[in-house]
Order: sequence, then structure tokens, then C-alpha cells
Amino acid sequence: MRHETCAVEAIDLEKTYKNGVKALKGVSFCIQRGEIFSLLGPNGAGKTTTVKILSTLIKPSGGTAYVGGYNVVEESSNVRRIIGIVPQDLTADDEMTGYDNVYVQARLHGLSRNEAKKKTKEVLEFMGLLEAANRKARTYSGGMRKRLEIAMSLVHSPQILFLDEPTLGLDVQSRRHLWDLIRKLKREGTTILLTTHYMEEADTLSDRIAIIDLGKVVALGSPEELKARLGGDRIYIRPALNQDLSLIKEKLVSKGYEVSILNGEVIVKVKKAEDSLFDIINLLRDLKISSLRISKPNLEDVFLELTGRKLREEEPLDSFRYRIHSMRVRR
Amino acid sequence: MMRATLVLLVRELKKWFGRKPVLVMSLLTPVLWIALFGKSLNLTNMLMPPGSLEGISPEMMKVLQQMVTARLIELFGTTDYFTYMSSGMLVVFAVFQGMFSGISIIFDKRLGYMDRLLVAPIPRLSIWLSKILAVAVRVTLLSLLLLAVSLLLGMNLKEGVGVIDLLASWSYIILLAMTIASLYALLSFYADNQEIVFAAGNLLNLPLMFTSSAMFPVEQMPDWLQKLASANPVTFAADLVRYHLIGRPVGDYTAELVKLVVIALVMLVVSGWASLRWMNNR
Repeated sequence: MRHETCAVEAIDLEKTYKNGVKALKGVSFCIQRGEIFSLLGPNGAGKTTTVKILSTLIKPSGGTAYVGGYNVVEESSNVRRIIGIVPQDLTADDEMTGYDNVYVQARLHGLSRNEAKKKTKEVLEFMGLLEAANRKARTYSGGMRKRLEIAMSLVHSPQILFLDEPTLGLDVQSRRHLWDLIRKLKREGTTILLTTHYMEEADTLSDRIAIIDLGKVVALGSPEELKARLGGDRIYIRPALNQDLSLIKEKLVSKGYEVSILNGEVIVKVKKAEDSLFDIINLLRDLKISSLRISKPNLEDVFLELTGRKLREEEPLDSFRYRIHSMRVRR
Repeated sequence: MMRATLVLLVRELKKWFGRKPVLVMSLLTPVLWIALFGKSLNLTNMLMPPGSLEGISPEMMKVLQQMVTARLIELFGTTDYFTYMSSGMLVVFAVFQGMFSGISIIFDKRLGYMDRLLVAPIPRLSIWLSKILAVAVRVTLLSLLLLAVSLLLGMNLKEGVGVIDLLASWSYIILLAMTIASLYALLSFYADNQEIVFAAGNLLNLPLMFTSSAMFPVEQMPDWLQKLASANPVTFAADLVRYHLIGRPVGDYTAELVKLVVIALVMLVVSGWASLRWMNNR
């Protein structure tokens, strides 16, 4: 056992899968006891792989990690005792009742029959599932199933909880409900590692955030620290004609503005948008502009600044899903 | 280890009892086999001297009948094919059930439940063991039901069959069931698709059944088939169970028993080791 300075410590974690995919290329961070720590990054950045290594589900190809002071490879059974994990996918057995799903987890974590019964009821109540406890999990709604997953992960009162994209695919109401629960767990002293690709989620919940991209941590700090790196607001200008992009850039640069072009937009860095907006509009009044927007410091811009890409890249068009989506919207 | 295995075993059985149609169908399959196949193959009738045969004295007829009966007893240990077959079916049934260990593993893997088990603080071997034991419990209960149905349909147990005979038969059936379950468990940890298990089942069940003494006596088979049968654990289990239930003599009791146990142990060890390897090397 390692001298405990961090609740979770990753040191140069690397993972190359059997199919040759390099998911992690040296990830390091230290999560303090009792904090909510987020891994923020786009799909495929390596967030889930990191969680899988830390929860002893897979082994790293390089580097080491300690959870609660235990080495995740050599002392994996000690790690498993003190962690809870809410995986990205639903893993509850839908042929079993909600109660049985949680009870089995309690028993597997070494609780006696009576303790397990008591804790199962407690945690189901905490998750608002007590009324549905004796229904088969397959009858649960999406939000209920997610809460069942969390109940299964909490029944043994873990010191450290891993939440992998906990609000993915949930409606706004369930998402807010879950955020409240996560804050409540933090108040009770649980250390929480959260992965997400929603910047609002990372921003509102986290004490600290590691921004992760292509298997590497590209920035680490509190949401405020990260946003302060931007050094001010951003003004995005999209001209009606693409060929005007460089013209706009020239005009603004000659006036001393810091300007870049990305994805058909001119991005202007300013201290305070309100102070320079009038000046900029004045400069461009002869050109046709199709849109202009101001962006206050946010993590999306931080990610863009660091990687030159958006946090949520355009996802490949799935025509089937698109059709279903548009059907729903019309209704 | 024991506690985790037990918890997981209870989970398997609870799910099984929750699927009533599966329960009924798994029992109906062997019952239909014995009722339709076992009853329709009426050997004594088949081998009667034909009625068109003329000029045979009653004494001659008696001799012919004695000949047929003697040959049947020599081969089947009974004149009633139904009794021969239903005792073999108890064993074949264990083979059929073995597949369910694999299906359960594949679905746990695909539905993500396996990941839950892999991050639980339990010996990982208990995950494998619970699947094998679930098959053993299923086979125990279903075999008892099948035996009851067979008796109702007219199966004749040997005279003076005792508790020891029943217990011995049960152990051999379970040993075979666990051997087959180990095979499917091994396959399922490395496969990622349930169709492989079904395909393997269709591929293996028939040859395992017919290259053994379960349905027909080995002694009347062609040479090459006899060789196959003499290496098939289904043969050993069927011979031993028959000896205890219907009193058909077995060539070398100890030899068959040792072979059955050795094959079972090898399969269990290999399967447990390989499954653990899959769980630990990801």
C-alpha cells in the first residue's frame, strides 16, 4: 500500500487494445479525497478506458495507478472493496427485480443477509426507487434504470465512486435530479470521478477538471482556472460569403485584434466583448455577415483553444436515428 | 469463495424459475423423445417371427422367441427398448442442459452484467463455478422429474433398486453435466456471440448422443463407431447409470468410472483455468 496523498492517482497510464488502438498515451492526475473530479473530453478521448483501468476491469499497458492507496493491478481485490462504479452502459439484469439487483451486489460485497436487506432498502429509498423495487428492471424507464445502476454501485457505501457519462441520454429533468444526488454524495464524503462530454455538467459539478483528448490530459484545473486561461471573451463572426473570411481577419488584425479562423468563422479574442463590439461592427459594416455571437468564457472554448476542435464534433449521420428523431420532434 | 458462489448460484436459479415456459420446454423435450421414440421402437414386436411363416411347430416358435429374447437381453439388458432408452435419456438430457452454462455467460457478457461481477470483490473463479453448479442443480431437479415421468410411462427398474443405486446414478449424471457445462463455459468466455453456443450445441449434441451407448448398445455398432463410443464420456455415464437403474451388466465398472471421473476433472480444470485467464487478461 502506498502512502495516501491522493484518493486516486494515475501515473503515465497507457493502454493499447489488442486490436492495436492506442486509447491512452500517458494520462496522469491526482484526485483529492472528497472532491468531484471530472474527465472532460469528446467521445473516444480515453475517458472510459481510464475508468476501466482504475476500476480494475482492464489492465494498463504502461504506467501505474493507485486507488485508495492500493495498486490497481497488484492489489486489485482491495481496490474492488472500496470503489463503486456506474458504467456508461446499463448493466442491471433486467430479468431480476430492482431489489434483487441491488441485494446481489450487497451480498457480493460481503454484507450479511440482514445488513444487505437493510442497506438495499436504504439505498433504493435514497434513489427514489422503493416503490418500484419489486418490479423487474426491464419495466423501468431510462432515468429509473440509471438510478438503479447508481443504487447497485452505492449499496456497499464505497469511498470512491466512478461515474462514466452518468447523464448520457437522460432528459433534462432526470439530469438535474442526478446532479443533485451527486452533490449529496459529495457532502457525505464520497470521492467522485466523473467522466462527461457535456461541458455544463463538468462546469457545474466539478471541483477540478482534467480535459482529455486523444488519450492525453491537455489541461487540468478548477473550472475557474481553466476558463481564466482564455483571458477574456470570444466573438464569433460568420460571413455570408466564405471568401470574406480573410478580409475580415485582415481588417481586425490591422486594428490590433487577436484573430483566428476556424470552421468558417472568424474568432476574435477580447478582454470584454461589450467594450469592443461596437468598434468591430463598425469595421465590418460594408460586409455581409450571416451571424455574430458573443461567448463568455466557457469550457467549450477552452477545449477549442487547446485542441483546435469542438468538444462535440459533428457525429456521423445515422439516417435511421435521424428519421426517428425528426418524427419525434414533429409530434 | 463459497459465499459469492452461492449468491450467484441463487441468482441463476431465481432467473431460471422465473422463466416457466423454458422450464416446461426443457422437460418436455426428453419426455417427447422417450415417449415417441422409445415407445415406437418396440423391439420385441419387431423381432417376432412373421405370421406368414407356415409350418412351424409351437415348439419351434418357442425356441425362436427364446432366441430373440436372449439376444435382446444380451444387447440391451432388457427386452423393453423403452426401459433401455429412458435410462439413457437421463444421461443425454444432462448433455442437452450443459449448453445453458454457456448461454448464461454470453448474455452476462453482452448485457454488461459480467463487468459488474468483474469489479466486485469476489474470487473470480466463483463466477465460473456458479454457472457450472447452476447446471448441476438444474439437471438434478429435471432428472428427478424425468425419472418420475419415465416410471409413469412404464420404465422397469431392476429388482431391489436401492438408495445407493439412485445416488450413484445421480452422481454420474451430474459429473457428465458438469463436464459438458465446462466445455460450453470455456467456449463462451472466449466467444462474443450467442450463435456460437447454439451452433456448437447443434454440432455436438447429435454425435455425442449417437456415438455412445445412450440410444443403442455399442456392441452392435460397426467397428469405427465402437472406437468412438469407447472414448465418449456419455457412454461411460450411460453404462454406469444403466447398471444401477435397470441392472444391465457393465463390462468393467471401475475402468468406466475412472475414465468418466478423469475426463470430468480434466475438463473442469481446463475450463476453470481458461475462464480465469480470460477474466484476468483484458
